[in-house]
Amino acid sequence: MIRFLLKGLLRDRSRSLFPVLTVVAGVTLTVVLYSWVRGTESDVIRASAAFATGHLRVTTTGAAREGEVGADELALTGLGGLLDELRRRFPGVEWTPRIRFAGLLDLPDERGETRAQAPVAGLAIDLRAPGGPEQRALNLGRALRSGRLPAAPGEVLVSDELAQRLRLAPGERATLIATTRFGSLTTANFTVVGTIRFGISAVDRGAILADVADVQPALDMDDAASEVLGFFPDQVFRAAPARAIADAFNAGAPVGDLDPVMADLRADPGLAAILDFAATVTTALIAIFVVVMSIVLWNAGLMASLRRYGEIGVRLAIGEHHGRIYRSLIAEALMIGLVGSLLGTALGVAISAYLEVHGVSIARFLKNASLLISDVLRAEVTPGSYLIGLVPGLLATLAGTSISGLGIFRRQTSQLAKEFEG
Amino acid sequence: MTLLRLAWRNLLGAGTRTALNVLVLSLTFVAIVASLGLLEGMNQQTARAMVEAEVGGGQLWHPRYDPFDPLALAEAHGAPPPAARRMIADGSAAAILVVPGTFYPNGRLRPLLLKGIDPGQRVLALPTGPLAADGDEIPILIGQRTARACGLAVGDTVTLQWRDAAGTIDARDARVVEVMRTPVQSVDLNQAWLPLERLRGLAAMPGEATLVVAARDVVPPDDAGAWRSRSQDELLADVRSLVRSKAVGAAIVYVLLLFLSMLAIFDTQVLSLFRRRKEIGTLMALGMPRGTVAALFTLEGALHGVLAVVAGALYGAPLLARFARVGWKLSVKADSYGFALGDTLYPVYSLRVVALTLLGLLLVTTFVSFLPTRRIASLQPTEALRGRAG
Amino acid sequence: MRAFLPAIALFAAPLAAQLPAGDEILRKVDDNLGSATKRSTARMTIAGRGGTRTVESRSWIRGTAESFTEYLAPPRDAGTKMLKLGDQLWTYFPATDRTILIAGHMLRQSVMGSDLSYEDLMEDPKLFELYRATVLREEAWRERPCWLLRLEARVPGLAYETREMWVDRERYVPLKENRYAKSGKLLKTTDVVEVARLGNRWVARKIVFRDVLKTGDGTTFEIESIEFDVVIPEHVFSKASLRR
Repeated sequence: MIRFLLKGLLRDRSRSLFPVLTVVAGVTLTVVLYSWVRGTESDVIRASAAFATGHLRVTTTGAAREGEVGADELALTGLGGLLDELRRRFPGVEWTPRIRFAGLLDLPDERGETRAQAPVAGLAIDLRAPGGPEQRALNLGRALRSGRLPAAPGEVLVSDELAQRLRLAPGERATLIATTRFGSLTTANFTVVGTIRFGISAVDRGAILADVADVQPALDMDDAASEVLGFFPDQVFRAAPARAIADAFNAGAPVGDLDPVMADLRADPGLAAILDFAATVTTALIAIFVVVMSIVLWNAGLMASLRRYGEIGVRLAIGEHHGRIYRSLIAEALMIGLVGSLLGTALGVAISAYLEVHGVSIARFLKNASLLISDVLRAEVTPGSYLIGLVPGLLATLAGTSISGLGIFRRQTSQLAKEFEG
Repeated sequence: MTLLRLAWRNLLGAGTRTALNVLVLSLTFVAIVASLGLLEGMNQQTARAMVEAEVGGGQLWHPRYDPFDPLALAEAHGAPPPAARRMIADGSAAAILVVPGTFYPNGRLRPLLLKGIDPGQRVLALPTGPLAADGDEIPILIGQRTARACGLAVGDTVTLQWRDAAGTIDARDARVVEVMRTPVQSVDLNQAWLPLERLRGLAAMPGEATLVVAARDVVPPDDAGAWRSRSQDELLADVRSLVRSKAVGAAIVYVLLLFLSMLAIFDTQVLSLFRRRKEIGTLMALGMPRGTVAALFTLEGALHGVLAVVAGALYGAPLLARFARVGWKLSVKADSYGFALGDTLYPVYSLRVVALTLLGLLLVTTFVSFLPTRRIASLQPTEALRGRAG
Repeated sequence: MRAFLPAIALFAAPLAAQLPAGDEILRKVDDNLGSATKRSTARMTIAGRGGTRTVESRSWIRGTAESFTEYLAPPRDAGTKMLKLGDQLWTYFPATDRTILIAGHMLRQSVMGSDLSYEDLMEDPKLFELYRATVLREEAWRERPCWLLRLEARVPGLAYETREMWVDRERYVPLKENRYAKSGKLLKTTDVVEVARLGNRWVARKIVFRDVLKTGDGTTFEIESIEFDVVIPEHVFSKASLRR
């Protein structure tokens, strides 16, 4: 029976090709929308994770309570041991230390006295580790406005706006005046090798990006850091495993002010809210789309059956049972739905994958590329992408045919035959 | 009979099918408008929250004032220019005096900005009323984030320390009279609000201010002498740029929704053409030019769009209006990444947006209706009459 | 008339002998410590959250307006130098070979995380010129008989508007000091734990500074050696000496 049906489908292109194409189109659109919307959701996480919270974050309990991390008495100590422990217990995550600090950037004249000075906010990361999580998470090259990325010890980046205000050119030396972890005034010399744009005025006003290894001795933070961030290797945040890791780390751990505590990205109340919001919006969008697409394909299924009333009339006339005809219609719809869904999903996933890898650049719409505002929008292919197409593609098509197929039982055979005639 | 009336009659004649397609189209229309409303609402909400709590209609800054430079704050105070003083007097602007200080919650030293504002001001949506409290202790208003970070609640006392205009240290106990929940971080973190005259007295800065904030729909004066004017747009630049970066992503979603509706109407048109082969043949045999036949079917498709608009307006308008009134409840405050949203998101529907969507939909529908009619050009009337597709 | 004189003398004498003028005491305190030049070595112990730290330094002081300090320990801070000329404070950091002017806001920062600020360090010791003193009463402190002086700012712009000072009646050394905010709130205290005699002077050997509003054990300042009226080469009080 199936072979017969298949032959029928393949022979009569107007019976099969068009419905299948419709299903393919519908399913492709659905899959692309779904993946696109998921990508937008991930984008929120990506930017925040990269700059602020990581996927997982270890700070001292005191710092977590106060809501601020810096190079002060509440910094994480025993960094080496902590990193070893983290890497040993949770090897599926890439752990990297960071220091946040503030101070003055002071430019010397020929006598070593101040030529220009401005306040800066500082971030020290593992800047030079090749292919390290920081490089991948922050994607600094994109936001570079002049000069180059640091490659040797003592090299730093500053915000472009600051450099222009101080008339600082790449290659110049600058001194950071800051306070150490214990409150002493300290200075450290750096070479500014490039400038970047962050994308938020408060930060662009005055910011410096340095390597952890350079800042630690300057701020008397040997074997210490403000925080340790953890990233999943592919930069994709996974809520359940992250929560599990944080819980495992915190279970039974001491809770003194200086003891480490771990939080996952969702634990940050502000970010969790944004994620919830994004999830709500995306779910709504997807639901609307799937419902509407289902209706469309249901309609198409309906149509496909209606076209064949003539043929059906003949089959009834030659004695085929109502039920059998109905079942054969369903079977055909099933095949169309399946084939259409498979092809549509394949096409949709292919397009989404392309959009994931290459993305859509919105740089034209933003004044300049910056670190904190992504200028490339990407889709994200998730397991759901492979399944979402089936709802409109298979189920709706089937539903459409089942309902319109019922018409067989209602109309007179003669009328059906007449439709065949014209 | 005019083409239009014919098309209309055909549409009505198809009954359920028309209704179905109209429903589908109208759904996409409503979906697009709803989504655009959400995005615009988000944009406006963020900006609105900031305008209400901080930015106002624009600001006038003391020449030495730089919100990003904490070191210059000690000198950023002076008498506001006459034009500003007039505005303050008639309530269309509020003066704010900023004095850098420190405080000692739990015996730990933390920097703090003391911001003096008139308790009775109506320019900013800050709950400054309780600051009119009397008493020896200084009444202060703090934000929830600061309260949480320092373990403070209403009624708690904390020691404040600052330097007056001459540089002499002063320290006094202050009592928290109000903890405000505000989506705008920059009026919350590391700062405390005090009554303006009290602060002026304590800091020995009589009649002085650091900045003047104009009321929401008021523009700060141009003739401000050395004081610099900051427009609302300037102050909201970051927010707008962040939201703009999201808008393009949304546009892609709308395009996909549009494709969806195109698919719906395309399908319908093809079926329509197929089922009415005989009718087409008849019309052509009766002398109707092919072009007119094609126009008829195109018109029918376009009318679908019109009906979709009407239907969408009928059920969509009240639905979306309620949505705009009630808003969308978010589980927690979504404000920690530059987006000052607060608890509920209110969609905003602009006439321009709705009209453009409408127009776009109609155009798309018409065009997509037209596409399958090209087949008519190659249709043989004789074959059509017999019920066979050409 | 003659008969009254003894009576008047009897009356007036106790009044005069009761409490000397506060300003007089203050002047004597200044005289006790004042000298043309001083050279000293000192140790400062800072109690912080993570433990205590000790900083050693050597200072050359001329008059009240010029001083030069070199830090000797810990190794991290060794070689750091500070030069005060009038109301300017310059700091030299050997690690970066930079000379930084500490001005304005920076002066209010604490020195090495201690309870003292740079401003406190810079303070002109000639209290007599800055404050007007009145004697409140006699009071003992650490079993030493003292006068309790109340100091009020004579000139505007002083960090501390009022102070209270317990001055040893015999030695004219301040044994305890409270520094107050304009509101009268207590801000900082100094407590002299040890006094030593050097020549004809009494010197506070060990002093504990405390920022009262912060929790913590304060900062202890110990003078290990001090010499008065020594010859100090001119070049010491110049910016060039910072980089030597």
